[in-house]
Amino acid sequence: MARAVTPRRKALNTALAWAIGLLIFFPILWTILTSFKTEAEAIASPPLFLNFDWTLENYAVVQERSDYMKFLLNSVIIAGGSTLLGIIVAVPAAWSMAFVPSRRTRDILLWMLSTKMLPAVGVLYPIYLLFIRLGLLDSRAGLVVVLMLINLPIIVWMLYTYFREIPGEILEAARMDGAGLREEILYVLTPMAVPGIASTILLNFILAWNEAFWTLNLTAADAAPLTAFIASYSSPEGLFYAKLSAASTMAIAPILILGWFSQKQLVRGLTFGAVK
Amino acid sequence: MTRQGETDFRTRLQHWLPKVVLSPSLAMVLVFVYGFILFTIYLSFTDSRILPSYGWVGLENYSKLWRLSHWTTSLTNLGIYAFLYITICTALGLALAIFLDQKIRGEGALRPIYLYPMALSFIVTGTAWKWFLDPGIGIEHTMHLWGWESFRFGWIKDRDFAIYTLVIAAVWQTSGFVMAMFLAGLRGIDSEIMKAAQIDGASNFNLYRRIVIPLLRPAFLSAFVILAHLAIKSYDLVIALTGGGPGRATELPATFMYSYTFTRNQMGIGASSAVIMLMTIAAIMVPYLYAELRERK
Repeated sequence: MARAVTPRRKALNTALAWAIGLLIFFPILWTILTSFKTEAEAIASPPLFLNFDWTLENYAVVQERSDYMKFLLNSVIIAGGSTLLGIIVAVPAAWSMAFVPSRRTRDILLWMLSTKMLPAVGVLYPIYLLFIRLGLLDSRAGLVVVLMLINLPIIVWMLYTYFREIPGEILEAARMDGAGLREEILYVLTPMAVPGIASTILLNFILAWNEAFWTLNLTAADAAPLTAFIASYSSPEGLFYAKLSAASTMAIAPILILGWFSQKQLVRGLTFGAVK
Repeated sequence: MTRQGETDFRTRLQHWLPKVVLSPSLAMVLVFVYGFILFTIYLSFTDSRILPSYGWVGLENYSKLWRLSHWTTSLTNLGIYAFLYITICTALGLALAIFLDQKIRGEGALRPIYLYPMALSFIVTGTAWKWFLDPGIGIEHTMHLWGWESFRFGWIKDRDFAIYTLVIAAVWQTSGFVMAMFLAGLRGIDSEIMKAAQIDGASNFNLYRRIVIPLLRPAFLSAFVILAHLAIKSYDLVIALTGGGPGRATELPATFMYSYTFTRNQMGIGASSAVIMLMTIAAIMVPYLYAELRERK
């Protein structure tokens, strides 16, 4: 869409664009760098960028003070478990809507998706009370189920849009060749659906990983994931800058890596399909 | 005969299977969202305190709620926060998108960087910005170390300005994401229209003002709906960044609801505030969905 620009203008634009990128990324970068400094270097004047003695000491201190590995394990189990459970429930539903659509399919989808926009406070009481009654407070199993339920509409909808991209002619060709429902699903649909399912898993894993409302409200000591870990560091008292940085770097590290691969899915999922 | 019966069974199975496999998801959403919301609405008409109780009190919780200064403060805060957040994010997102659309070198690598903050949890954003904005260790402190002794940036500790720190952190997190929405919109515009306008001698400014921005209307609409619902739902960012303070200066409806339920044991009043939030989001969402449905038919 953009019109032709002069080379000089282009170079200028490019430089500016990277400067903005650096500005946006700077808080993250600075936090990561600081986590490898000693406390003295962290507050050195003028600030040190790369010319300091890299140390892992802060990480050791944070791990010792609050058992990072336990939080990490909880995050993995909760995000992974809810994603897996959600996929199992959603794949058949999305398959049904994508390949055997009815007149109401679009309405049903939009309706499901709309529920994702409603505020979580609207269902806090029933879930909280149910959790008390079932003894699920501060349990990983409880969170797996709740996070699966709140993300289910997004999972179904994401899968649906990916399944819709599978050309119908292929199915017809398979049917012509005498493939039954079972063969159709096993040998034709599944291989073509795998990329879409993988993308959905990635998006949902990040959503569940970042979820804070439910994890903060429904967990205490045992099932708390990394969001709770980072929230516990949210008062800077007693910890210094380098250690705070190490704690937050540890909390975001998995997302920093996953985030790079999942930009497309994030935009697609979080805009509710407004952007593909 | 058996063969015939088998075919019948398979035909019927093929007919029913799609509906059968769809139903668990539908049922879950129906019960979990609508069923539970109904229960919350019901609670808002009862005298529930620390535990649910089923004495009907009519609209009493609502009238109590509106007399609470904390509630009205949280609504004013939400108004300020949502207005600034939506306006600034939209403006920045649009500007970045138009800018990135000018054939920038390395755009493919830049987009993920602009989008990075959105992949983080609001809790992380809030905590990180809490340190950056803290006068003792953050930007102010750094400026002092660099020799700018008179630099002051203590909004986060200031009752009148703390609400704007929420805006700063939220804008940082979401702008790149709004940019991605507008960029997709820009890329979707028919280049023939642009060429025609350029041949007619439209200036760059007029081209954007009169042609591109009006064509981006759908992107504006989706950006608004998404940002508005994010603003109303804001909870984790407040918890991590200011904890609602100083005092109650940055309390938003979602944190109000939480504190009234769990620290003051006023479930009925908390439920009525949740119902009002639900209705506000529905008021924004329903017309949007309606328009969306009509358009796609």
